[in-house]
Amino acid sequence: MILEFLLVPLIAVFIAPFFRPKAATGISAAAFLVPFVLTVYGLAANRVFEEPLIDIVKPVGTFYLLGDQISFAFGFAICIVSAMVALYSLPYMVHRFEEMSYDIEHEYRRFIFLFNLYATSMLWLVFSGNFILLYIFLEISLLSSFLLIYMYGYGNRRWVATLYFVWTHIAGMLALIGFLITGFDNGSLAFNGIAKIGFAAWLLIFLGMVIKLPGLGPHIWLPWAHAEAPTPVSALLSPLTVGLGAYVILRVYQIDPWFIKEYMVPIFVYGVISSAYAGFAVLKQNDYKRLLAYSTVSQMGYCLIAICLGSYGAMAVVIQYISHAFGKSILFMTAGGIIAVYHGLRDITKMGGMHEQVPTISNAALIGFMNLGGVLTVGMFGEFFILKGVVDTFGFNIPAILSVVFVFILSGFYGFYTLKRIYYGTPKDYKKARVPRLLDTPLYIIGVISILFILPPLAPLLLNAIKLGIGGVIP
Amino acid sequence: MEAVVASILLLTVAAAVSLKSERGAIWLSVAALALLLVVPRIELLMYSMLIVAIALINTASLTVKRNQITGVDYSLVALIAVATMYIAYTNNPAFILAAFVLASVPTYILVMVGDRANVNVAIKYITFMVLATVLFLIGAFLLFYTEYYPSEILYTLGFVMLILGLGMEVGCAPMHEWVPDVFTAADPLPVSVIASITKIVPFVAAYKILILTSSPLTAHLTLFVAFIAVVSMFTGNIGALTARETSRILAYSTVANMGYIMTTLVVLSSQNYLYLAFAGALLQLIVNAVGKASFFTSIKVDGTSTPLMYLIAMSFIGLPPFMGFYSKLFILMSLVGAGFVWLAFLLIVNSAISIPYYVRIARSLARPTIPGRATAIAFVASIIMLITVIPPNWFVDVATYLIGGV
Repeated sequence: MILEFLLVPLIAVFIAPFFRPKAATGISAAAFLVPFVLTVYGLAANRVFEEPLIDIVKPVGTFYLLGDQISFAFGFAICIVSAMVALYSLPYMVHRFEEMSYDIEHEYRRFIFLFNLYATSMLWLVFSGNFILLYIFLEISLLSSFLLIYMYGYGNRRWVATLYFVWTHIAGMLALIGFLITGFDNGSLAFNGIAKIGFAAWLLIFLGMVIKLPGLGPHIWLPWAHAEAPTPVSALLSPLTVGLGAYVILRVYQIDPWFIKEYMVPIFVYGVISSAYAGFAVLKQNDYKRLLAYSTVSQMGYCLIAICLGSYGAMAVVIQYISHAFGKSILFMTAGGIIAVYHGLRDITKMGGMHEQVPTISNAALIGFMNLGGVLTVGMFGEFFILKGVVDTFGFNIPAILSVVFVFILSGFYGFYTLKRIYYGTPKDYKKARVPRLLDTPLYIIGVISILFILPPLAPLLLNAIKLGIGGVIP
Repeated sequence: MEAVVASILLLTVAAAVSLKSERGAIWLSVAALALLLVVPRIELLMYSMLIVAIALINTASLTVKRNQITGVDYSLVALIAVATMYIAYTNNPAFILAAFVLASVPTYILVMVGDRANVNVAIKYITFMVLATVLFLIGAFLLFYTEYYPSEILYTLGFVMLILGLGMEVGCAPMHEWVPDVFTAADPLPVSVIASITKIVPFVAAYKILILTSSPLTAHLTLFVAFIAVVSMFTGNIGALTARETSRILAYSTVANMGYIMTTLVVLSSQNYLYLAFAGALLQLIVNAVGKASFFTSIKVDGTSTPLMYLIAMSFIGLPPFMGFYSKLFILMSLVGAGFVWLAFLLIVNSAISIPYYVRIARSLARPTIPGRATAIAFVASIIMLITVIPPNWFVDVATYLIGGV
């Protein structure tokens, strides 16, 4: 059943370029809403699907599609964000093509093909039941996003795209060696055929994914890539792609958690430092998109923290992914909205009091930062489960609890501080602009969903499903 | 087997006919290639289809522009293809070496034709090739000799000479001197043959000989192979990064690719994963053959269709689901399986350094799509790169069959 649903966006990848921009956008968005229905059904039904595709030579094992609650939860975020960003990309890319003086209709065909390929590969990735299949989709998503940055990015786009490609390709290849070692140890790389994962393999996979995530240190590629990518691409890169690193670690963790348990304290400390460092770095940025990119590093630190914290932590990883995906996609789209409306305005020092000029974008940004800070949105549960996990794993350990609380407060603080710098305060001298409908409506759809998921009946549905998926204890 | 003999006969006729009519020569060459498809087993059929496809690409690129020996050159390409096919059938040392020579000698003539015919370069190339052939043959003789009169020193000597000869023949560092010179100075069309199909036979021959004469000593000697492979990968990639001309970048990329393939020979020390190693090597050779043929033809016509160039470059980089990914995957699997994780790691580092220059090649050759012969070649090359969208299990069977007979 999953296969049929997943084929819809895959087919859309190849047919959308044959339509005119408006129709192509509609087809793409609709194609992602079809599997969205599947993911919601999957979360509600609490069933696990396994659909074999093909058998491969010995150490690779069977390629099969795995739809369990974790896949559905990740797929849920990917579908809705991709659908909304697809809608949003029509006005934005038209503006960008005008700026680059390209032929709009011709160029949009290329763009929508790569865009759909990129989003679809991520969707297939979370339903892959084999590490090699997963790796293949990881690389397809990398390739398509690389080309998108390379062709339509800002600034020194070719250099930035190559930087992004080299770093994340190394990350993928490190993980690939780890997967291969695992394959030889177990005779299979299918999730259901792996019993144990050795030290070298775990280390390589973990390092690869920390580069991709990214943690502090290997994060240097991220602010460049996410800031210089065209905004619809940033709005997939930052919310969806980097978090897939956490997804891979979570999958490996579910199979054989010993590595994380053994090195729990160093990883926890690294996560806190990484998150706190990036949180402070956010305060220093003067470029709206670069600021959001640093905030991504900070948020992904949460995932590193959460993965150390047992089954509650694992739940928190999933919820953190969803809430970050919602929040960050909204925020990148607000940044893009301002760029599109005010012809490339990104410098925060030139902004101020933007609420007067673009109230719809400003209100959306508020919802976005509420998601990141975990205020009255689905992110709230993420922070709750992280704290619960800290108490469960470390006991009543004051430094651990305080460090986590500090990171949470920092996120909230930089969120509202940025809001104040950009949207409130004394208005600068800009004309009040009319924001195209597609540049703000998709943001509110995501925002409404993020708020609906803290209320019954959707909140218990999501939490119960994830709890079952983790194989965990009490919600 | 009889079909191979028949196609050699056809080629002899083709060479004679070429004096009278080019058209006749090309049809006879194609017929000779078609005869190669008459094979007893499905595995051999897959292999011969790939080889024939590469030979057709090479022949097609020679037809882009007339040269001094138009007509004969098609037969020469077909002859190399026949040798490449022939080596699949045989396990007889004499025939293996015959195929090796047969695949190498036609290039001595090819290097001298074309618009930029350059005797100096040709002499440099031929000198290196003769030296390589002699080293390879003597090495092979010594290895077979130790089968009958065991001697560790002679085995080591033979092994080292064989690897040096192989390295010089295909262009591994530190014997790669001739590659950048020949690839930049000679005409791109004959180079599109020299860089492509001719690389397959030496490696298959080396595999067959080393398996036939395998001895416990191999385990110690693989370090030597690993050394050459690593030097070759780094020389090639760093050279390509710093080179300016597209053809020079491609020359260094060949050096790097030959290094990747050379790594698989270390797996000879543990026979369990040999089939994977050979599958990876052969697939990488095919990727290299198809891609280089298309790139060099594009250089001659000053660029071809943008998407096709990028697709081929992505395949060289090793992105799934292109063929270049599966070749590297097989190589990595065999290396990790045989316990050479450090070598796998170095290979990955190298494949990461190679990204910028492949993108540069694609960019410098990318032009709007105009129907034409070079575009058709690039299109066929792209189709071949894309056949691995369905994971190539069958290729592992092919590779196992090819060396399993030994």
